[in-house]
Amino acid sequence: MISLVLVLPIIFCILMFFAKNKTLNNILITFYSIIHLFLGGSYFINPAILSNSEYFSLNSTNIIFYLVLSIVFFLVSIYNNSYTKNLEFDNKKMMHYSTMLLVFVLSMTGGILSNNLGLAWIFIEATTLASAYLIYFNKTKHSIEAAWKYVFICSIGIALAFVGIILLTIAEGSLNSLNYSDLISLAPNFNHFWLNVSFVFILFGMGTKMGLAPVHFWLPDAHAQSPSPISALLSATLLNCAFLVIFNVYKVMISANCIAYAKILLLVMGFLSLFVTSVFLYHTSNYKRMLAYSSIENVGILAICLALGGVAYVGMFLHLIGHSLIKAAYFLTSGNILELYQTKKIKSIKALGVVDKKTAWLWIFSFLGICAFPPSILFISEFLAIKAMIIQKHYFLCVLFLFLLTIILFAMAKVVFTMVFDNSQSKRVEDAKTNVKKLGCSMYYPQILLLVMAFVLGIYIPKFLDVAIIAAVIG
Amino acid sequence: MVNGLIILFGLTMLYLSTTSRLIAHTKVLFVQGILLFLICVSGFSHASLAAIIFLTIETLLVKAILIPGFLAKVLKKTKTNRDTDANIAHFWCLLISSLILFGGLMFSMVHIPSLSMINPICFGVALSTIIISLWLITIKRKIISNVVEFITMENGIFLLSLSVAKQMPMLVNIGVLLDVFIAIYILGLFVSQINKELGDLDVAHLSDLKDCENND
Repeated sequence: MISLVLVLPIIFCILMFFAKNKTLNNILITFYSIIHLFLGGSYFINPAILSNSEYFSLNSTNIIFYLVLSIVFFLVSIYNNSYTKNLEFDNKKMMHYSTMLLVFVLSMTGGILSNNLGLAWIFIEATTLASAYLIYFNKTKHSIEAAWKYVFICSIGIALAFVGIILLTIAEGSLNSLNYSDLISLAPNFNHFWLNVSFVFILFGMGTKMGLAPVHFWLPDAHAQSPSPISALLSATLLNCAFLVIFNVYKVMISANCIAYAKILLLVMGFLSLFVTSVFLYHTSNYKRMLAYSSIENVGILAICLALGGVAYVGMFLHLIGHSLIKAAYFLTSGNILELYQTKKIKSIKALGVVDKKTAWLWIFSFLGICAFPPSILFISEFLAIKAMIIQKHYFLCVLFLFLLTIILFAMAKVVFTMVFDNSQSKRVEDAKTNVKKLGCSMYYPQILLLVMAFVLGIYIPKFLDVAIIAAVIG
Repeated sequence: MVNGLIILFGLTMLYLSTTSRLIAHTKVLFVQGILLFLICVSGFSHASLAAIIFLTIETLLVKAILIPGFLAKVLKKTKTNRDTDANIAHFWCLLISSLILFGGLMFSMVHIPSLSMINPICFGVALSTIIISLWLITIKRKIISNVVEFITMENGIFLLSLSVAKQMPMLVNIGVLLDVFIAIYILGLFVSQINKELGDLDVAHLSDLKDCENND
C-alpha cells in the first residue's frame, strides 16, 4: 500500500506527459489525492494492510504529518480544478505544472514516510527541485527572482544538513546506520561533542527549508510568487516535512541525553522567527507576503514548543495540525482575492466585503483562526505553550512570547480589516465585481472545510486523533 | 600521496578566490573533479566493484567533465567573462582564504586525532573548502560565480564524506550525485533565464522583491 502511494504519481506523470490534457491532469491529481488520503485513513482502521518496508513506514511519529499532508493535498487538489480552468496556458505548460505538482507531493510523501535520515534528506532535496519550477510557473521577472533565491538558499541549506549527517556518522562511532530507530536506540553511546555539532548543521540546514529565522530569506519571496495552490502546499505541508526531520534528530538528542544545547538553539531560532515576523509584518505591502511571514511565525512556535517539551509537545502537534489547515485555507483564499483584483498590493484591495462576501468571510475566519481566536485549535496549542513556559518558570520568555504575538495580531488585523471593510470605490473594485463569476464553487468549499476542521478541533478532538497525538508524543 | 592531492585540492580554493575570470572558475572545477577522482582511487578505494564504478562516474564524469562543461556552455551562451565587482580586493581574498585553510587544518589537527576513523588533513581541507565557498558566495557579484562556489562547496562536502573512513551508505551517495546533477542543471537553466530576462548576470538585479516596496 505504501509502495502504491510512491509509485502511482510516477505512472500518472507518464500518462500526463503523453495525454497532455488539462481535464485528465486534474482527474489524475484528484484521484491520487484520494488514494493518498485513503492510506492515511487505513492506518487507523487496519495498520496491517500498510505493509511497511525497510525504508518507508507509517508509524506513530509520522502519521500526523502524513495525515495533514493528505487532507491539505486533497482539498488543494479540489481547489486546483477550478483554479487551473482560469489559467490561459497551453496544454504543454499545464502538463508541466501538473506533473511537477505530483512530483512535489511525491517527494514530500517520501520525506515523511522515510525511516532513514539519509533517505529523508534526499526527498527533502527533491522537494526543492520539484517546487522550484512551480514557483517559477508564471515566468515573470519576480517569479524568476523568487525561484532563484529559493533554489540557491535551500540547496545550500540542504547541503549543510548533509554535512550534519556526515558529522552524525562520526558521532555514531562504530555504528553505520542512519535508520531513525537505530539512531534513537544507540544514541546513549554516541560522542556528545560531534552529536551537538551535527545537530547545529542539521537544524540550520533543515531550518532553512522550514523557514526558521535567521535562515528564512527565501520564504516570503517564494510563497508570494508561486500560484496560490502551490503557496498553500509550500506553507501547510513542505515546512512540516523539514520539521519532521528536525523532530526525529531531536529525539536522538533526547535519547543521548544531550538536549541542553539543542534546546537553547531551538528557543533562539523560535523567538527570532517571532521577532522577524513582528517587525516585517508592519512593512509588508503584499498580502501573500504577509501570510508567508505568518508561516515563519508559526514554525517559530513549533520550534519553541519542541524546545519546551512536556505539555508543549501536545501543543506542538496541535499547532502543526492547526497551522497547516488554517494556512492552507488562508493561501487559497488569497488566490481568490488575486483572481478578483489581479494584484497582490494590500493598498489596492478595498471593499472585499462588497465585492465577494464569501471570500471576505473566509479571509476574516482564516485570520481569526491563525491568530488563535477561540475556538481555533491554535488557541489550545498556544495556551499549552504558555502553560509549559509558566510550569518551567520561563516567565520572561512567556511575556516576550505574548508581546510578540500581540504585535503580529495587530499588524495582521490592520491589513485584513482594511481589505474587507474599507468600502472606498475605485476602478479596480468595479473590475473585481465583474471577476466574481470566475470563481467556481470549488474555490470556496475547500477553505470552508479546512476552517471548519480547524475550529471544530478546537472544541472536540476525535478519539483516534487524540490517541495518535499521545502516541507521537510518547513514541 | 593522498595527503599531497588533498593539499592540492585546498590550494585550488586559494586560486578560485583570487581569480575573476569565470572560465578559470570552470577550470578549477575540472581540476577539483580530477583531484577527487585521484583521491578516491589512490587512498579511499572501496572494495566493491559497484562502489568503484559509482565513484568514478561521480567524480570523473560528473564533477570533472559534465558540470564544468555545462557551465562553460552557459558562459559562452550568456557571453559572461569576468566577475570584477567583488566587494573585496584579490589580495584580501587570498589572505582570508589562506587563513581559513590554515584554521581548518589547525582545528582538525587539534580535535581529530582522538578519532581514529578520520583523516585529519582531509577533514581540515574539506571544512575549509566549505567555509571558503560560503564566504565567496557572499562577496561575488555574478550569479554564475555563485553557482561555481556552490559546486566547490558540494566538492568540499564530498571530500568530508571521504574523510570519514567508514563508507556512507550507497543510497546516500546516489542521492547526493542525483541532487548535485539536477541542482546544477536547474541552476544552469535559471542562469540562462535570468540572463534572458534581465540582460545581465549581476546579483544586484535580483533584489526587486522587498517588503517596503510595492511589487506586482
